[in-house]
Amino acid sequence: MENDVMEQEKADALQLSAPSELSEIEKAESVLGIDRSLFEEPKFWSLQKKRFIKYRKVLWFIIPAALFSLIFSYIPMLGVVFAFKDPGHFNLYRYDLWHELTNGYWTINNFGNIFNDKFFVSVGNTLLINVIKLVICFPLSIFIAVQLSELKSQTMAKVVLIVICIPNFLSWAVVIATWAGLLDGDGGALNTLLVTLKFNSPNHPLMQEAGLYKFFVIFLSAWKGAGWGCIMFYAGIIAIDKSFYESATLEGANRLHKMWYLTIPMIIPTIALMLVLNISGMLATGLEVVLPLFDMILADEAQLTLDVYLYDITIVNQNIPMAATLGVFNGLVGLTLMIVGNLVTTKTLHRGLW
Amino acid sequence: MKNIKEIFKRNPNKIKESKLDTSLVVVNIVLLVLFMIVIIFPLLNFFSLSINDYRRNGDVILFPVKLSGFGFRTVFKGSEAAHLWRAFGNSVIITIVITIGSNLVEAMAAYPLSKRDCPLRGGIMMYFIITMLFSAGTAPIYLLMRQFNLTDNIWSCILISISNVGNLLYFKVFFEGLPKDIEDSARLDGASEIQMFFRIVIPMSLPVIGSCCFFSMVGAWNGYGSALLFINPNKFDAFPLAYYLYLLNERLSTSKVEEILMGRKNIEAAAMIVSIIPIIACYPYVIRYIKGGLMIGSVKE
Repeated sequence: MENDVMEQEKADALQLSAPSELSEIEKAESVLGIDRSLFEEPKFWSLQKKRFIKYRKVLWFIIPAALFSLIFSYIPMLGVVFAFKDPGHFNLYRYDLWHELTNGYWTINNFGNIFNDKFFVSVGNTLLINVIKLVICFPLSIFIAVQLSELKSQTMAKVVLIVICIPNFLSWAVVIATWAGLLDGDGGALNTLLVTLKFNSPNHPLMQEAGLYKFFVIFLSAWKGAGWGCIMFYAGIIAIDKSFYESATLEGANRLHKMWYLTIPMIIPTIALMLVLNISGMLATGLEVVLPLFDMILADEAQLTLDVYLYDITIVNQNIPMAATLGVFNGLVGLTLMIVGNLVTTKTLHRGLW
Repeated sequence: MKNIKEIFKRNPNKIKESKLDTSLVVVNIVLLVLFMIVIIFPLLNFFSLSINDYRRNGDVILFPVKLSGFGFRTVFKGSEAAHLWRAFGNSVIITIVITIGSNLVEAMAAYPLSKRDCPLRGGIMMYFIITMLFSAGTAPIYLLMRQFNLTDNIWSCILISISNVGNLLYFKVFFEGLPKDIEDSARLDGASEIQMFFRIVIPMSLPVIGSCCFFSMVGAWNGYGSALLFINPNKFDAFPLAYYLYLLNERLSTSKVEEILMGRKNIEAAAMIVSIIPIIACYPYVIRYIKGGLMIGSVKE
C-alpha cells in the first residue's frame, strides 16, 4: 500500500515539475543574462577551434613530419594509377608525373599479365622462405631469450647478449662477405673443414649452389637477426615478477615446468605483437640479403623471390606499369595479412596490434 | 605443532634442485656458449683475413698465420682509397642528416599529438598510421625521385628515410607518460611552448630518443636498399659506404692487377673492418640507453 502511494506521489511530482520548472529556469536565465550554451556539450568544430587556439604555438610542430609523409608516402600512392597504364605506351625518359596522371593509354590488362610463370615461382619461393623463417627463426629467438633468462649471473647474461647482438649491427654486405669467405672453395676455413669431413668436394663453393639458395637466405637471416630478435622477449621475461617463480618453486615446479607454464605465457603479448609483424611481412624477404645471394648463384630463375623480381622489372627492365601493378598487389596482400594476422592473434592469444 | 614440523621437513626436499634441473643448467650453458661460438668464429676469421698475407689465406682458421698490411694498405693508400673514402664521406653525411633529421621531425610531431586535447588528434594519427599500413611499392617512389632529379644523388637515400612513423608512435607513447607537474611548473616560470619542448621534454626523454637515434644511425650506415633503387652502379660519387662494399667483390674480381685479384678477400675484409669501426665505437656508449628504450617498446599501450 505504502509503495503504491509513494509511486503515485512521484509521478505527480514529475508531471507537475517538468514544464513549469523549466520555464522558471528560463525566466531566471533571461533575467540574469546567462548564456545557456556555456553549460551544453560544445559542438565538435567549436571544441576543435578552442583546442586549436590553446595549442596554436605548438601545432606547427606536426607540419614537417606531415609534409614528409605527404611527399614520400601519399604522393607515391597516387602512383597506383600507373598500374592502369599500357606498358607499350609508357616512356620513362619523356615521362612527366602530372601528364601521366591525367591522360595516356589506359588498360586493366596489367592485372592479368602479372600472373605469369616468374610471378608464381617468386611467390612460391618467398612464401617458402618466410614460412620456414617463421617456424624456425622466430621460436629460436624466444628459445635464446628463455635460455638467457635462465642464467643465474646477470653479468654473464649481459656479455652473452652483447655478443649475440653484434651481427645485427653489421651491414648485409659484411655478413654475406664473411660467410662467403668462410665457405670459399679456395681455402675458406669452414669449407676446408667440410671437405675433410667429406661433406663437400674441394673447389666447390656452397654459396654458389642454386639448390642451397633458400637455405642460405634463411640461415644468414637467423645468424644476423636471432640474437637481436631475442632482446624484445628477454626484456619481457626480466620484467616478470620474481615472486611467481618463488611460488612455483614452492609448489614443486622444476625448471622445465617454470619455462613452459610461467615464462612463455607471461610473454605472450610480446609474442603476439612480433607474430603479427612477422606475418604482415610474409611477402617481403629484404632486397639487401636476397639480391647479393641471387647474384652469387648467377641469377638462376628457379630461385627468384618477389623482392628480386620486383627489383628486376623496376630498375633493370624499367617496366613501370608492370612494377606498379605488382607493387599494388604486394601492398594489398601485406595489408590483408596484417589484418588477418591481427585477427588470428586476438582470437587465439587474446592480444594484437590494436 | 607436529603438522608444522612435518611441513618444514618435507619442503626442503621439494625445493632442492632435482637431477633434471642440474642437467638443464649444464645444457643451458652449453647452448649459450655454442651460440656465441657460432657468432664469434666467422667474425674473428674475417678479421684475421684482413691482416693476413694473401698467399696463405687457406691456412687461416681463427688467427692470422702470417701478418701483412696488404689489405689495409690497399684500402688506405692504394687503388681503392679514393672510392672508399668518398663513399665513407657520403655515408657520414647520410647518417648524420637522417639521424638528426628523422628523430627531430618525428619527436616534434609527437609532442602536440601526445596532448590528450590536441585538436583533431585522432584524424592526424590516422593520417600517419595509414602510411605504415599501405605502401604503393618501389616503382612510384622511383618515378618520384626521377621527377625531382634526385636519382644518382645521396639526397634520394636521405629523403626517403626521414619519415619514420614507428618512431613517432614510440615518442608519442613516451611523452604521454611524462609527469604533467614538471610541465605545469615550467609554464608557471614563464617557459614558452618551444622552450618547454627543447629544454624540458627532450632532456627528460633522452633514453628513448637516444636509442631511436642509435637505430636510425645503424640503419642509415648499413642500409643500401634505397641505394640499390636510386643509384646507378657507375656513379661512384654518390655511393653510400654499404653500397660500395656490396659492389666491391665484383669489381675486385674483374681487376687486371694480379696482386689485387689474388688478395681480394683481404682487401674486402679490410674495407669492411673500416666500415664497422664507427658502429663499434658507438656500441658501448649507447648500450645503456638501449635498455631504457627497449623497456618502453615491450610494454603495450
